Amino acid sequence: MEHSKINVRQLFVLIVLFEHGSAMVIPLGVSAKQDMWIAILLGLALGLLLFLVYERLFHYYPDQPLTSYVTHIVGKPLGKLLAVLYITYFFYIAARVLRDFGELLLTFAYPETPLFVLNVLMAMTVMYSAYKGIEVLARTGELLYTLLQILAVVGFILVIASGVVDLTQLQPVLEEGWKRVWKTVFTETLYVPFGEMIVFTMLFPYLNRPEKARRAAVAGMVLTGINLAIIMAVNTAVLGADAVSRSSFPLLDTIRRIQVAHFLERLDVFFMVALVIGGFFKVSIFFYAGVVGVAHVFGFSNHQRLVYPFGALVLLWSVAMASNYWEHIHEGLKIVTLYLHIPLQIIIPVLLLVIAAIRRRFGSSAK
Amino acid sequence: MLFQWGMGRQKKQINDGVKQEGPDHSGEAADVPQEPMSAELAVNLDIIRQTTGQSSDVVIRRFSLGQERQIKAAIVFVDGLVDEKHVYEFLLTPLLEASFPLSLTEKEWFPWIEQKLAAVGGVKHVVDWEHLFLELFSGETIILLDGVPSAVSASTKGGQYRAIEEPQTQIAVRGPREGFTESLRANTAMIRRRIKNPNLWLETMQIGTVTQTDVAIMYIKGIANDEVIEEVRARLRRIDTDSVLESGYIEQLIEDQTFTTFPTIYHTERPDVVAANLLEGRIAILIQGTPFILIVPALFIQFFQAVEDYYARFDIATALRFLRVLIFFLSLVAPSIYIAATTFHQEMIPTQLVIAIAAQREAVPFPAFVEALIMEVTFEILREAGIRLPRAVGQAVSIVGALVIGEVAINAGFVSSAMVIVVSLTAIASFATPSFAIAISARLIRFGLMFLAAMFGFYGIIMGLLVMILHLCSLRSFGMPYMSPLAPFISTNVGDTLFRIPTWMYRERPRLINQKNIIRQSGDQKPQPPAPTRREKEDGS
Amino acid sequence: MKRPIAMFVSFFVCAVLLAGCWSKKELTDLAVVIAVGLDKTKDGRYLASFQVVNPGNVAGALQRGGGAGGVPVSIYTSTGDTLVEASRKASKKLSRILYYAHTNLVVISEEVARQGLNGVFDAMERSHQFRTTARLVIAHGHSAKEVLSVLTPIDKISANQIIKTLEFSEMSWGQTINTDVWWAIRGLTSSGRNTVVTGVVIEGNPQQGKRQTNVQSSVPDARISLDGLALFKKDRLVRWVNGSTERGVLWVLDRIKQTNITIPWKGKKEAIAYRTMGVKTGLKVKLKNGQPSILVHIQTEGDISETYVPINLADYRLLFQLEKAIGRDIEREVKQAIETAQHEKTDVFGFGEAVHRADPLLWKRIKKEWDDRYFPHLRVTVKVDASIRRTGLRNTPYIK
Repeated sequence: MEHSKINVRQLFVLIVLFEHGSAMVIPLGVSAKQDMWIAILLGLALGLLLFLVYERLFHYYPDQPLTSYVTHIVGKPLGKLLAVLYITYFFYIAARVLRDFGELLLTFAYPETPLFVLNVLMAMTVMYSAYKGIEVLARTGELLYTLLQILAVVGFILVIASGVVDLTQLQPVLEEGWKRVWKTVFTETLYVPFGEMIVFTMLFPYLNRPEKARRAAVAGMVLTGINLAIIMAVNTAVLGADAVSRSSFPLLDTIRRIQVAHFLERLDVFFMVALVIGGFFKVSIFFYAGVVGVAHVFGFSNHQRLVYPFGALVLLWSVAMASNYWEHIHEGLKIVTLYLHIPLQIIIPVLLLVIAAIRRRFGSSAK
Repeated sequence: MLFQWGMGRQKKQINDGVKQEGPDHSGEAADVPQEPMSAELAVNLDIIRQTTGQSSDVVIRRFSLGQERQIKAAIVFVDGLVDEKHVYEFLLTPLLEASFPLSLTEKEWFPWIEQKLAAVGGVKHVVDWEHLFLELFSGETIILLDGVPSAVSASTKGGQYRAIEEPQTQIAVRGPREGFTESLRANTAMIRRRIKNPNLWLETMQIGTVTQTDVAIMYIKGIANDEVIEEVRARLRRIDTDSVLESGYIEQLIEDQTFTTFPTIYHTERPDVVAANLLEGRIAILIQGTPFILIVPALFIQFFQAVEDYYARFDIATALRFLRVLIFFLSLVAPSIYIAATTFHQEMIPTQLVIAIAAQREAVPFPAFVEALIMEVTFEILREAGIRLPRAVGQAVSIVGALVIGEVAINAGFVSSAMVIVVSLTAIASFATPSFAIAISARLIRFGLMFLAAMFGFYGIIMGLLVMILHLCSLRSFGMPYMSPLAPFISTNVGDTLFRIPTWMYRERPRLINQKNIIRQSGDQKPQPPAPTRREKEDGS
Repeated sequence: MKRPIAMFVSFFVCAVLLAGCWSKKELTDLAVVIAVGLDKTKDGRYLASFQVVNPGNVAGALQRGGGAGGVPVSIYTSTGDTLVEASRKASKKLSRILYYAHTNLVVISEEVARQGLNGVFDAMERSHQFRTTARLVIAHGHSAKEVLSVLTPIDKISANQIIKTLEFSEMSWGQTINTDVWWAIRGLTSSGRNTVVTGVVIEGNPQQGKRQTNVQSSVPDARISLDGLALFKKDRLVRWVNGSTERGVLWVLDRIKQTNITIPWKGKKEAIAYRTMGVKTGLKVKLKNGQPSILVHIQTEGDISETYVPINLADYRLLFQLEKAIGRDIEREVKQAIETAQHEKTDVFGFGEAVHRADPLLWKRIKKEWDDRYFPHLRVTVKVDASIRRTGLRNTPYIK
């Protein structure tokens, strides 16, 4: 195991970068049409509740990652099984995000390049960061967080300055009532990105002041939620709900609308920077969580040796998982949500918490 | 063979710190005679002559001590290392003129000599050959007496050194004009003059089994962190090499990470820089024979700070620091952005510009990457030539360079003028980086990024920079994270990174690992205008 | 530490040896398409014209003396059933790859526009190269190919000439609208708004316009000029409007920045000129018994820029009267425009969208028949608040 520690600020930054990750660039919650920003905020509210479940679990076992304390909660054989399940889930999502990311690049800038080649470059970087460990990733996060903030502010100002924002496009609010919004929340925005906070249960043990985990994480999630809501609201106000829902990458379209003073235009590279950094952190954190999980469950003293084999696995998986973009997206929205996100992000953690709480209360002597 | 080598290394680790004469370092210490010093003067002088191979600069002067007793004596010194006038006037003359009391036993001879030589800086008693030679070649004069199996060394260091001049690197418009010299003593003095405090400690040791170079660690006790001092000591002690000719030798042997293009140890030629760093709790390593002094731990951001930042007012200093980071960034990525934009992302260039560049490139026969590579390499060649050549010829090189690159290459259709702009921008940017050490690492990375840009466009550049940032964040300098105080973020120290807050706000020293004494000055020093005098008040109303 | 470096190095070496650079395209291999024109051939296929920049002959190419003789742009044409097909086929005639990222202008011939634009924009929207910020104009009277072929004197590239004219004339005259492809698509997808696009005509002889001699004379044989506004219904062009009607449309769309209005005074017809400096148009929807009606509220600010009658402008009460007269004039223009649109049964003003925002449920019911049934009988009230802020450097004219 790695003995490095991260501080509260770094945790906050990692959460913000992770949550923004791919959520920033994909059409998030578009089935709510012009109310997608409401769907995101509601997703955030429910996501926070879900996070409190994870945080409570961490509170019970402050020095262990998820994959270790499941064995304490449900016993060894079942616990190991669950741990392996979670590890697989982390690697799978890492591969998914890597795929997302490769597809994005391919579609908007490198149509002739093989997906594999683009993914290799990203995967190498992810492996390098996982090899260096969480401390280095956290520090990198601190630097890039500032960069992204500056980019976001500049981008926002430019969008406003180009005069393409038409707030009437956000109206009518709640055209079809709350039903459509809630449906979007429960099918999309709750799980991605907020439910994905489950992966941080693997990282909390590295925190130097565990008691502050909740504050940092909640602050990070709220900031992200608001940011994402603003991004999607701006997208809608610039493009219109119809165009946002038809677009593969609404943010890219919004950025392409920027035209200021005949000079500040064609800023696609902004988008690429945001995309690459967000994608990198998301893949890295999932991948690192997976690798650390393997090290824990199978008793490897050093996670660094696991980085290359599993990195290669994730890379190949990312290329092989679907034959085209929309198959990939369909899997992501329907199958993954139903069979992976709901059980692994909601059902199992809640059950674990219930069992753990019962054990705490009644079986403290048994321990 | 490999196995043996491994064994050897292991053994060294075990004998850490112990002087060791293995067969692998070419017998330097072994040549120093191991037997004790003889009581007979003639024998001792013979040994000296033989050991030094009768070198002509080793001067041996024999004389007799005292008018009655006529003790045979000799002084030995190395011509050129000693101040000869000093030797004759303050050492030889008192000894020759003194009347040697008969009552003294042999044991009392040396204390008597020491008394007589009060006019000489320092007098030491030397009992073995190894020390004797060390003292001799450090510029001391050795006094040997017949009948005593030991010697006295008297401090007569002198000889010719370069005078204190203005430093050649790190030139400042405002600030002290003196720079370090090759003399360790002169250098320590320059620092002492700036920090008059008994807590400024100096530890000296010899490194290099052949060269026996003086290496000194300087720090301010109580401000510097004891753990770091101990770490520096330990790393210096671990060095087992035959020679140290420049601080670069030491730097490369004690740095945290070898496989990096970034310098993790700062070096400077300016005493005011060293003083400022000592006051921040850093440790200076001074090496005899070089004006470059090492400072540890070094942070990335330090290489973007020039001394003048602290002498200039804060607003100017802050603006300049931002400019420097921009410069560094430009010198890293300018050519790769050109490559990426013209071969992958033409859509990102404004239409007018893309047409203009296309028009220029119309006649250029090479792909943009090759064009950029040619120009960059040409530029590096010119620069290298300019540095090594004598100044007079250097002029010629720059004329040829300016003509060839600037005019003829474009007219001949070899390169486009946009490329020339990019290359010259890069060149100027890399000259404008305050630290040569960081500029040179940017030079290396630049070529890597150009390569990535040629393969993947902006995506390659972004990934390259991302790996670079990851790498930077993984570096440490004597335990300090290299990117601090930016990552990990230390809010109280950010005032002296890209920004420079006004001087009166510098309450704390930078936090180096677990440092205790961090308060630098009181926090209420904001300059205030004096209250208006009564006279003024009356006039005003 | 050594291993990752070794892996990186080996990866790069492999990558270079194996593949080289996939998406790489050298500038010298690209034909920068600056404008696309669309016509129909006799047999109903698309005839696409590509205005390709000839970099050596544009400004910036002073070095190596490329400029003097050649023309700055060349036109390539090809036919196809779809746009992409036409574009690919053009490569038979071209030594370079057509590159669309700098296509800033799309010219569509009236014929194509009358037959329907559906499908025309899909390829443009889908392509990662093409940018939907490209301006859109309709060729009026001539084919798109002829429009693109005319050489222009000041801005060497005629597409740039059209774009800049669009921009500055919208800013200073207000009878043209700077529509880009994005707006057109929005108009096509929205059920409560139809598209308007500015027309472009050739003044003079298009055959002469193609020649270099066209730009060597101070009065060119052929000039490109913007004229008229094409009103669309869904994807079809239904009507051209000109002059003050045209401006009436733009008043409602809130696209007027500066323009000039001349009002009669004391019996003289074109007596006083008023220059607007800032215009704000708001739409308000009123619902009465489930019947929507629209209030168009226009506020303008401006100066008096010219008078042909003696009038004491220092008298502020007189200015109030003038303001009223200006307001009436604008109202007349707007009403005229609305009547025209209602006659053509096409809601180019986005009234439908306003109704949608005001009452989503009602809108859901009526949106299918909006253009044909509700919009033509929509009650529209126009209210204009014109204000005169300043009168220039003189108060009374020298005319006595």
